[in-house]
Amino acid sequence: MNKLNFTEDQQDCLQEIINVAMGQASDQLARYLDTFVYLKVPSIEQVSSKYLSDTINSEAQSVAVVSQGFFGYEGIRGEALLMYQPKDSDRLADLLGYEPDELSVEEQIIDLSSILTTTFLNVFASQINNQMSYSAPRLLFSSNSENKTSSQSSISEHIEHQSFNWDVALKVKITYQVTDYSFNCDMVLLIPESAIINIAAVIDRILEEY
Amino acid sequence: MSLSVLICDDSNMARKQVLRILPEALADNVQLATNGAEALEVLNSQNIDVLFLDLTMPVVDGVGVLQGIKEAGITVKVFVISADIQPEMQTKVLDLGAKAFLRKPVQLDVLNSHLEQHGLL
Amino acid sequence: MSVNQFCNTISEQLNTGILILDIEFNIVEWNRFLEIHAHKETSEVIGKNVFTVFPELPKRWFERKLSSVIQLNTQSFCSWEQRHHLFELSHTRPITTDSHFMAQNCTFLPIESDSKVSHISILIEDVTDVCHYQSKLNKALEELSKANRIDGLTQVFNRKHWEECLDKEFSRARRYDHGLALIMFDLDHFKRLNDTYGHQCGDAVLIETAQKIKSLLRLCDQFGRYGGEEFAAILPETDLVGATDVAERIRKEIEKSVIKYQDKTIQISSSVGVATISKNNKRYEDLISNADVALYEAKASGRNKVCVANNIEYTLE
Repeated sequence: MNKLNFTEDQQDCLQEIINVAMGQASDQLARYLDTFVYLKVPSIEQVSSKYLSDTINSEAQSVAVVSQGFFGYEGIRGEALLMYQPKDSDRLADLLGYEPDELSVEEQIIDLSSILTTTFLNVFASQINNQMSYSAPRLLFSSNSENKTSSQSSISEHIEHQSFNWDVALKVKITYQVTDYSFNCDMVLLIPESAIINIAAVIDRILEEY
Repeated sequence: MSLSVLICDDSNMARKQVLRILPEALADNVQLATNGAEALEVLNSQNIDVLFLDLTMPVVDGVGVLQGIKEAGITVKVFVISADIQPEMQTKVLDLGAKAFLRKPVQLDVLNSHLEQHGLL
Repeated sequence: MSVNQFCNTISEQLNTGILILDIEFNIVEWNRFLEIHAHKETSEVIGKNVFTVFPELPKRWFERKLSSVIQLNTQSFCSWEQRHHLFELSHTRPITTDSHFMAQNCTFLPIESDSKVSHISILIEDVTDVCHYQSKLNKALEELSKANRIDGLTQVFNRKHWEECLDKEFSRARRYDHGLALIMFDLDHFKRLNDTYGHQCGDAVLIETAQKIKSLLRLCDQFGRYGGEEFAAILPETDLVGATDVAERIRKEIEKSVIKYQDKTIQISSSVGVATISKNNKRYEDLISNADVALYEAKASGRNKVCVANNIEYTLE
């Protein structure tokens, strides 16, 4: 795994901001979902586009992946990937507070993804005096999709089929656990190279304030 | 009389965050520790009045420090400052003798009201 | 012109619906786009509950959706791919699409005042076009993927797809130590039939025979055209006795059946080879060669008969 091109102080600052955002997001989610949501301490690392599929594949044989773009001021932007394991979707409707017949499994997965992504990134943004906007979440891939039109059988295949216009990205992986529903999923935030520089600038400004 | 204070957090930024909002009465005599083991070393060798303690840390974590304090019978007022806000964790640290559980990022007014409550202001 | 006037002008001319609700879900404001496409008078809508004005909304779902926006103070989305539309609105391509209502992408945005969510803004985009072309694309992809699997003449699996099926079944059978049988059929003297009656007649025989064999197999069996006048069936969880039984039954049915082509009646017979998976089979191709050898055996020893692999000729009774 690549070392981050951040100074020790920058990395410390980013990690702390993310930790705090996780705590607050977990609190908000617990209130809304009426069950405790535990966010596991994230790993922050740099990945090259060449190895992205390897990196992600080694972690998850995902059955569904949802992508949602985010963008804020000061050139901070990226893409959040929510990756679900088999069985994760069993009681999703229940967790979300819907009746199972009110929405399809795909919609449940998309809905939950959007909630997890935006809740975390909103608090993250407020930590750095920023504000996020989001694109609509999209189901990139689902193995139980009824109208499956592609033969891709995993997220890594999906990623392998893309050609990227970036070389290096910052990858933040956060695992969400909902013990009461024996549910967990991974959120991977990917921030392209150009935006990493902008994040570093924001971090430097915060560090100066101390 | 100025109180002796120890701030224990593995994050440099988090330590600074606490330092920045410490009221004058507590700001004169402050020491820093970057993990639980360092904190216990200080606590065992010196008289510390107030400890601001993070939970998730390498070597010895916050819970370990609280247990160490209890075992050694050290008198110190501990305020846990953490982003890990699981209800079980809050109960656990309060059971282990912490005076209060403060959420990160700790705000000036919240800190002051807790310090006041425990006669430190 | 003030900024406010700019905003008003733009919102009135925007090709996106804007609907503002208070947290009791009463309509506070909407724009011209919605007025036109909902065919309702603004004066009759403002101040009314959204469920009164749009009774078609799925009430419970909608309330929960909006509660996430209010409680988490975050935006939420609803795509036409999951729900074709929320609001029953007319759209701008009534002539050239078959869509009755406007396909919509909806965005729900919290509006804060005094650091509390006081209103929700719903943006409704017309994506009837996108939906129309995506549906067409999906249909085309589906047909393409079907064309990739099906033999154009006989409408059973083609060789490529059939082999993929065999590959899967073979691995599964090996992994779980289950039975697996293969039957290969070859129509006897097919070349002569073609030469005598013409290729169109030969085609008709292939079509009818393929359907006949398929109808005699189980649903879980996979049947395809292996090439020319050769067909093959994969029988999962089947032993040699069972497979030979099936093969013999099919051989008899083919022999019995009379195919009518124009004013001619044609009778045909088949030679059949049967093989089952054994410990020695490392690859699915081994199974095919075994069945092939048996099929050759059936041909060589007089046709219209079933032979099983390992040179054991099988005869009923």
